[in-house]
Amino acid sequence: MTTPHDTPPAQLRPAGVSVTAAGLSVRYPGAEHAAPDGVSFSIGVGEVVLVLGPSGSGKSTLTLTLNGLIPHAIPADVVGSVRIGGRDAAGATVAELSTDVAMVFQDPDAQIVTSTVLDEVAFGPENLALPVDEVLARAEASLRRVGLWERRDDNPDRLSGGGRQRLAIASALAMGSGLVVLDEPTANLDPRGIDDVAAALADVVAVGDRSIVMVEHNLDAIIELVTRVIALDANGRLVADGPTDDVLRGRAAELSGLGVWLPVSTLAALRLRSAGYAIDPLPLTAAELRAALESAPRPGADQARPHVTRTDAPGPAPYDAKISPPEPIIRVRDLSVRRGRTPVLHDIDLDVHAGEFLAVVGPNGAGKTTLVQAIAGVVPPPRGRVFVDGVDPARADVAALTARIGFVFQNPEHQFITNTVFDELAQGLRLRGTGEAEIQARVADMLERFGLTGREASHPFLLSGGQKRRLSVGTALIAGAPVLALDEPTFGQDRARADELLGILAGLNAQGTTVIVVTHDMQLVTEYATHTAVVAEGRLLAHAPTAEVFADGELLRSAGLRRPPLASALADLPTHPELSGIVRMADLPGALPADSGHVRGEEARTRPGSTEGVAR
Amino acid sequence: MLLTCAAIGVATGLVGAVAGWLTPVVIIATAGVAYGLVLGSHVLAGIIAQELLRMPFVALLTHLIAALVASAFNPAWAPRFLGTALLFGLIQEGVAALTRYRAWGAWRFFVSAAIIGIIIAVVVGFVVPLEQLAPWARVLYIALSILGPIAWTAVGLGIGAALRRAGVARVPR
Amino acid sequence: MTAATPVRARGNDPDDVRHLDRAPRERFLYALNPLAKIAAPVPAMLALLAVRDLQTPTAFLVLAYAVIFVGARLSARMLAVLLLAVPASLIVIGIAFSLWTDASRISHDVVVLQIGSWTLYGEALEVGFATALRLGAILTLALVGGLTTTGADLTRSMIQQLRVPYRVGYTALAAFRFVPRFGYELEVIRAAHRVRGASHGRGPIAVVRRRMGYVVPLLAGAIRHAERVALSMDSRAFGAYPRRTERYRIPFRARDVVFIALFWSATAAIFLTLRPWA
Ligand SMILES: Nc1ncnc2c1ncn2[C@@H]1O[C@H](COP(=O)(O)OP(=O)(O)OP(=O)(O)O)[C@@H](O)[C@H]1O
Ligand SMILES: Nc1ncnc2c1ncn2[C@@H]1O[C@H](COP(=O)(O)OP(=O)(O)OP(=O)(O)O)[C@@H](O)[C@H]1O
Ligand SMILES: [Mg+2]
Ligand SMILES: [Mg+2]
Repeated sequence: MTTPHDTPPAQLRPAGVSVTAAGLSVRYPGAEHAAPDGVSFSIGVGEVVLVLGPSGSGKSTLTLTLNGLIPHAIPADVVGSVRIGGRDAAGATVAELSTDVAMVFQDPDAQIVTSTVLDEVAFGPENLALPVDEVLARAEASLRRVGLWERRDDNPDRLSGGGRQRLAIASALAMGSGLVVLDEPTANLDPRGIDDVAAALADVVAVGDRSIVMVEHNLDAIIELVTRVIALDANGRLVADGPTDDVLRGRAAELSGLGVWLPVSTLAALRLRSAGYAIDPLPLTAAELRAALESAPRPGADQARPHVTRTDAPGPAPYDAKISPPEPIIRVRDLSVRRGRTPVLHDIDLDVHAGEFLAVVGPNGAGKTTLVQAIAGVVPPPRGRVFVDGVDPARADVAALTARIGFVFQNPEHQFITNTVFDELAQGLRLRGTGEAEIQARVADMLERFGLTGREASHPFLLSGGQKRRLSVGTALIAGAPVLALDEPTFGQDRARADELLGILAGLNAQGTTVIVVTHDMQLVTEYATHTAVVAEGRLLAHAPTAEVFADGELLRSAGLRRPPLASALADLPTHPELSGIVRMADLPGALPADSGHVRGEEARTRPGSTEGVAR
Repeated sequence: MLLTCAAIGVATGLVGAVAGWLTPVVIIATAGVAYGLVLGSHVLAGIIAQELLRMPFVALLTHLIAALVASAFNPAWAPRFLGTALLFGLIQEGVAALTRYRAWGAWRFFVSAAIIGIIIAVVVGFVVPLEQLAPWARVLYIALSILGPIAWTAVGLGIGAALRRAGVARVPR
Repeated sequence: MTAATPVRARGNDPDDVRHLDRAPRERFLYALNPLAKIAAPVPAMLALLAVRDLQTPTAFLVLAYAVIFVGARLSARMLAVLLLAVPASLIVIGIAFSLWTDASRISHDVVVLQIGSWTLYGEALEVGFATALRLGAILTLALVGGLTTTGADLTRSMIQQLRVPYRVGYTALAAFRFVPRFGYELEVIRAAHRVRGASHGRGPIAVVRRRMGYVVPLLAGAIRHAERVALSMDSRAFGAYPRRTERYRIPFRARDVVFIALFWSATAAIFLTLRPWA
């Protein structure tokens, strides 16, 4: 991507744009309070700014005010001012501002309006009524910048998730604006896609002609690009604003206490510090953590050695082989599945034992969803190939199937079939002819457990994102199935919500439920999963205890996966053999200071079914 | 707002495409008598759009997009799709305009449904050899032509109401 | 009525080249403006509504088939539809209508078939097939344009020639992209309802209720998606100016006028020769 052609023509070299917000508050109609609330900051030309904050703190709202979508397209009360390059954002239209501010959103599919890659990038400049030559010049320069020029005639649908997100970035660049605003651009991508997007952004930053404002939860991928960090608290007030080093290294403990997400390496270092390791300054990347540990002395030889408990093999809570029956609860033999005419899965053999916490990982489009859907009978598998607790999903009726396996769809809205939260939970019980009194009792219990008491008459669609997710898990659980399968339960959720949900799952698993999770989050896998199944191109590449899978570099590479940050920082650490090879945060010595109710790994297991931190 | 109409249009356009495929079957099975029932399904686009958005021109716009989408699937019926879209859209807009876009009671939708039904009865009467049918079949035909749009209007209102309950309707900009 | 589009690009217009490789040129129908292909058969279709004989619809059926076979490149599937499915359904519709015809209103001169007390008269058959041919002719005339036009090109020509506001036109273009997504979502929703046991029994009423159950999540998801797409389009200056640069030109040329004129003349000729009103 660094051939001489890549030099953009002069007109694509906007000088960066500066942004000044003064006392900015945004309040949606009917909202109780503003978020963001009274925020002031200024961003200079060429800066790369990361906006942090817990869910609902108003990060997305802030990005939408920068290009005038609020209040012009989305009604909201705006107090205070935003000036873009000296121009008042409220006084200009979205279209006028679009030459200064370009946006990239979370969902790549919701940003594509045309049917070829080239048309898509040209769409913005065409709207500006530029001459055709100029449109094509800009389109070419932007596509080359993100490495998609060779694919200009393809249908965007044929790009991978990461490719489509790079296309969205190219479309933003083609607007020629000096400020690019990105709202969670790497959510829902597989590790390779995240790397692609990070590389494209790094290229833009390297040229240095634009300012960038970015909201992102996946800090490990992009933290090296960021020059400034702005953090909001849960109420939408500004709590930190400064250079990356000052904020992330200097105030990491404070931010962690707020529930703001930090790079995994920084969190790990905080924990190690509390155990007596002298790590200063705090690392932001896996490489920095490793370097810091290599030069750090072992915590005081005179003091007691830090107590490192290690769960030897297979990951978190090893199920007891003596107790678990030798017969697997799920048995898959020689399973091939077609979707339409395309063969999607080939000859899968898989045994899952009762009590396992199985993670299914692999690149986008590998067939993970299809595999768990076939196991749960969502796509009917061929007969005689799958057995769940002794039943063949291809033959079983709905009541028998839901009594054995609960399935949670990626998008909870897809699976809601009734008009109230109560009916939604009662559905599985009514199906099996449970008595009304028992239904009342069990639904009330489930509502209590998932923090939904008082919402039983609400329409499921009116719940918040996190509440919808919990309800969908509740509906899968209520029939008491011994197996629970979830498709990307952290999709579209922020990290705090994801942790809360995983706490619930870990608790259920500790009580004996077999849990199967499809996910792209490798740190999550190493934290929670006892076993990992790797799927690539419709084949099962591996199914083994999680630690073994992540120890096999060759396997990870061939499946396009990455080792999670902690594992790569701590692999083969001669200076600290007691830390070497640790992959889970919970196995590190020490504790996170003022961890604001986030449930992680080991802690969750000791509090089965914990739902603290659940917003009512 | 435009794209919200588009979304409704695409979804109802798919229904329209299905209706297009069903048409020959229905005509064969009932000699065209029940054609009004099928054609009536085309009212959906405008009804849902108006019930949800309650603004001028949404019915017409949604109809147009539904027609374009349905035509893409079922080119043979393209003129029918475009024609019914314009006709039904204009009638629905017209009835709404008469109340100055203020009255959105259910009666208003049924008035436009009845007008549409009568027009369907007349137009389709040209295609089907009505004069050769038995008298009972003719009565049934006219009844179904008018009932078709009314029944589909009720369905559309039901969907609109369900969507409102699910919190989908947005305050217009 | 020639190209009224303002020309922005000078010299070797790159769009025209692209237009060429998008539409295969070897058959003439692809080189025509979509609006011309719609306008040409419309008078015939309207007039056909009123005829009751056998010859006129047959003539138009032949005309439509001729134009399609000469002017379009047909896939195997389309060939099967035109050569097998259409004739078969014409026969079935024809027979069905004959059976439905009220025997007391037609002449009883010719008896084709007699089963017990029930008789199929020749004129009933004639009425039935006239209806079938009429429907068939109207449909195949529509296929002349329908088979050789993409929705996107139709939309573009509506913007360029009919002056449909480009905001509406491009909204429709964006909407085409929703179709596969909705299809996929519908599949997921159906699977979800099935495994959650949402079926309300059998029979047509249960089917309708089940469909209604899909509609709300589908439309709710669709509308949310549409709102996000709208934000993305707005932030790329969509609708900023009264005009936008048009890289694909769908011109309305002399050949389009010729095509319409020829088709209309043929229509008039058929009617004048066969005199169906006589
Ligand atoms: N269009 C809207 N209408 C009304 N309220 C809204 C709207 N969009 C967001 N909100 C509410 O405003 C608050 C701030 O939302 P925002 O999306 O900006 O948060 P966020 O920091 O981006 O959160 P997340 O990390 O979950 O994306 C939340 O309470 C949210 O529920
Ligand atoms: N209904 C369908 N018809 C045809 N092909 C399909 C269908 N559903 C999925 N596919 C194809 O099957 C393959 C596997 O899809 P699947 O959804 O199982 O992948 P995945 O591993 O879950 O991917 P992701 O990480 O993106 O969710 C993909 O190439 C996809 O395009
Ligand atoms: Mg957000
Ligand atoms: Mg998937």
